[in-house]
Amino acid sequence: MVNYGGDEVSAIVVDIGSSTLRAGYAGDDSPKAIIPTYYGYTQNVPEGDAMAEDGAPPSRSKPFIGQNGVATWRPGMEVANPVRESLISDWDPVRPLIEHALVDVMRCDPTEHPVLVTEPAWNTPANRERMAELMFEELQVPAFYIANTGVLNAFSAGKGSALVIDVGASIASVTPVVDGFVLRKGLVSSALPKLVHAHARHTLTSPTNSRAGIQLYPHQLIASRSPVDPGAPPQFTLREDRVAGTTESWKSWYEAREVDEWIQSVAGALEQGWNDQAAAMRPAKQYEFPTGFSTYFGPERFTVGEQFFYHSPQLVASNPNLPKNIPALISESLRACDPELRQVLMGNVVLTGGGSLFSGFSDRLINELSRSFPHVKIHAPGNPTERRYGAWLGGSILASLGTFHQLWISKEEWQVRYSVGCDLFHVLNFHPHRSTEHPSSARGVNSITVEFILIPSCQCIACNNHLLLLGTSERVNQVCCLTSQYFTQMLFSEYCK
Amino acid sequence: MAASAADVRSILSIPSQSGTPQATQKKPQAQSARKPEGISRELFSLIGSSAPTLAAQLLKPRLKQKPNLGNRSCVKWEWRSFKNDARSDGLQLGHWTKASTDPTTPYPFSKYNIQPTVYKYTDEEYTQYLQDQAWTKEETDYLFRTIHEYDTRWYVVFDRYEYPGGVSRSLEDMKDRYFSVCRKLVRNRPWTGDEASKSQLIQSFQFDKEREVTRKKYVTSLENRTPEQIAEEEALFIELKRLEQNERRFKRDRDELLRTLAGIDSGLPDVVEDEASLTAPLPGDFLKRKKTKSGIGAESEPAGPSNTIALGPPIIRKPQNAKSAAYDAQHCITRTEQTGSGSTTKAAHQPAFLRSFKIPFPKAALAPRINQGLTELGINPTRLVMPTRDNCSRLEALIEATTAMVETKKTMDKVEYEIRVAKGRLGIRESEEAGAGGGAAGESISTGIPVDAMDVDEAEGGGDDADEELAEDGRAQSVASVRSARGRRQSRRSMSISSVDTSATLPTRAGTKRQKRG
Repeated sequence: MVNYGGDEVSAIVVDIGSSTLRAGYAGDDSPKAIIPTYYGYTQNVPEGDAMAEDGAPPSRSKPFIGQNGVATWRPGMEVANPVRESLISDWDPVRPLIEHALVDVMRCDPTEHPVLVTEPAWNTPANRERMAELMFEELQVPAFYIANTGVLNAFSAGKGSALVIDVGASIASVTPVVDGFVLRKGLVSSALPKLVHAHARHTLTSPTNSRAGIQLYPHQLIASRSPVDPGAPPQFTLREDRVAGTTESWKSWYEAREVDEWIQSVAGALEQGWNDQAAAMRPAKQYEFPTGFSTYFGPERFTVGEQFFYHSPQLVASNPNLPKNIPALISESLRACDPELRQVLMGNVVLTGGGSLFSGFSDRLINELSRSFPHVKIHAPGNPTERRYGAWLGGSILASLGTFHQLWISKEEWQVRYSVGCDLFHVLNFHPHRSTEHPSSARGVNSITVEFILIPSCQCIACNNHLLLLGTSERVNQVCCLTSQYFTQMLFSEYCK
Repeated sequence: MAASAADVRSILSIPSQSGTPQATQKKPQAQSARKPEGISRELFSLIGSSAPTLAAQLLKPRLKQKPNLGNRSCVKWEWRSFKNDARSDGLQLGHWTKASTDPTTPYPFSKYNIQPTVYKYTDEEYTQYLQDQAWTKEETDYLFRTIHEYDTRWYVVFDRYEYPGGVSRSLEDMKDRYFSVCRKLVRNRPWTGDEASKSQLIQSFQFDKEREVTRKKYVTSLENRTPEQIAEEEALFIELKRLEQNERRFKRDRDELLRTLAGIDSGLPDVVEDEASLTAPLPGDFLKRKKTKSGIGAESEPAGPSNTIALGPPIIRKPQNAKSAAYDAQHCITRTEQTGSGSTTKAAHQPAFLRSFKIPFPKAALAPRINQGLTELGINPTRLVMPTRDNCSRLEALIEATTAMVETKKTMDKVEYEIRVAKGRLGIRESEEAGAGGGAAGESISTGIPVDAMDVDEAEGGGDDADEELAEDGRAQSVASVRSARGRRQSRRSMSISSVDTSATLPTRAGTKRQKRG
């Protein structure tokens, strides 16, 4: 065991993405639980008029999560996603989501396992703290760590330094990683996948010379249909009972899903760049929609992939907030890096994310890059699991390493450093010589009275700043107020002597 | 080799033992592992090896055996919580370990928790040694903390460095500050080790900021080249390589020609001397040699001891003693030297042959022209009526001479053409330079180069009738013209490109400068 540096402590890795939440044991090669991040809920019918007078939003039902959650039609079910642009923006459903993955799917007890959670490189400190709080206070995990998806993607490719090109469900990002650290200055991202999705949707729904706009009904809403020739108008009957109870959010969710399925099976990118002849040469692909409508898609299916790499000047001019395309992201990222690093990074390009499985994407990227960088080397795993769950895989590797276990944030550390400490440091950074009692309403801490005293005689070994005596009724710590390092720990009773 | 013990015995006619086959077979089975005492080594090697095959034959066939995993009992593993010494808190994580391991042993991975050496300084040290106009103490503190936090990973330090209210620092600024502080600390602190290790340590903190900045600038400019620039650069590089190669080929050709025409007598046997002869003081020198040559006349040339033209088989080279010479003369024996130098090996042995088989032929590439030349002289080279040795050698000499002539003519044509081109270019340049110089070439000669050089140039000028020269004036003259033409040509080239062969172009370049001034 020691030989290859692994030491498994049955840690759990949780990777929350825009489209799915992945969870599994560290050391495995694929996640055990993969559940959609989208969840459904219904508005509870207000009982009486107690709600209305508060002006509070009507309470929601228990969220519908997992395989039978959002994909199952329910009358009046709304669909929501807590993740917006890879960041968790709504914390209410996150706990049920994680609990569903860990308890219902993996059937394990979170209080027994250390948990490693991933975060995008542009995560906010507040979000990170909230995640820690959720883990420690609500799920009662013994230890916790939060790692960067860019770094984990590099690790899953076996690299310490890499340029990670991550094309997710909603965000495409380019992250330079050096020695396991993200270079924040070179970090760039854009909502490019959204643009590609919108373009595909527009292609499908807008009528052309040869066909009318395609109706994107899911199979859940279709009662019956009869086979028709390709290109002929579909013959189907809707389930009128369901159509009436379908909410707008569920409608947009299923339409998005139909478009995504079409993208995944039909759309593609031309390997050698856009060329009308080359696009016309490619065989047309047939695709049948749930309505029974089927048709052949010719060159138009390649215009979708083109959005990843090239935006026409008209499009750029008409839309000032257009998300940057992949070559622009890469060059912007490299420009922000040290010139000496560019060679290293271009020799270690890691392509990851489910969006990068787009047909022809990696070949096109290789062509685009090798045109401007002669020594580029791209690591793009051919295995779809490795590509889609790269960040989870990196977390799985990291959390099963013997040397990693000193980095876990233990519950004990959390109680001092995060729930109490962070608030304190926030205050103290502005008033370093205040010696008042901290308001005992420190967030998230129950029944812990917090006191701190400035100790003039003790100095922090790192910054020579004055140390604080920070304590609860159980334990006393000396804490440096600048670097938030804490030194001695003693029991309160000992200190009182 | 499945010979049974009984077979061996019958072969060696040893009386068979009274025991049953099983009994005889049991013994070697037991012995198979190692040789027991009392049996000779030879016998053991015979029967010892056969024992397993016997056993296999006699055993009843069975089902596939279960793999024998040894008689060790199963290793017991247990879930055990452990304390990681690398942690400062009391977190207990659990993992599976062998139950036999000692629970008190420290966590094996805690030893990898190595802290890098951090340089710290006290307030006094700072005020005494480390003051810097550009850096406050607080910012230096912050820099050292950041460097410590990221284990001197400079790119990361540079990325995360955000000193509130500070000026923006480049990576080189930070490196410079850090290394200079470390250097000063090491220098000024009491040092327990020897001086060598101290200076070595200081050396490891050496940092040349200016150089780093320039280097980075170069790296950036290298990356900022446009594709056109890169293509141009490559084209130039290839061109340079080609020119170099041409230069080398020309030089080789010239040397060969010189050696062919003038021989060692010319004093230009090899490249080194050749080049030296082209440098400054030599034109006169060379001319002198040329004059003496032409004074002696063409007929004196073949008499040269190592004349390379006379390449026919040397008549008699072996020093002979008087007796054998007399014997040979009496019996009309002519001894020829064998061609191969160390002809003792079989491969080099030459069997008897008719001389008519060895009639020399011209080189295939030049054959038509040589044949043409010979036909003009009224000689049919294809058929030698009487291939005596003398005739053969004469024919060979003739062919050699013709070859040399043809080659010389070829070179001559080439040089002439180049001269014409160069003259044309010179004319263009002169007309560009407002015609100020007038007869620039003549002037240059009259101002700097010794008067003798005139002759060279004249000879060169008469390059048109080089063939006649070859015929009339002897070879030395034509050599001179070829050489000087080469020199001239090189000088032209040296104006357009920076030639590799600088030594050869040195004097003529001076000449061209003068031309420009004039």
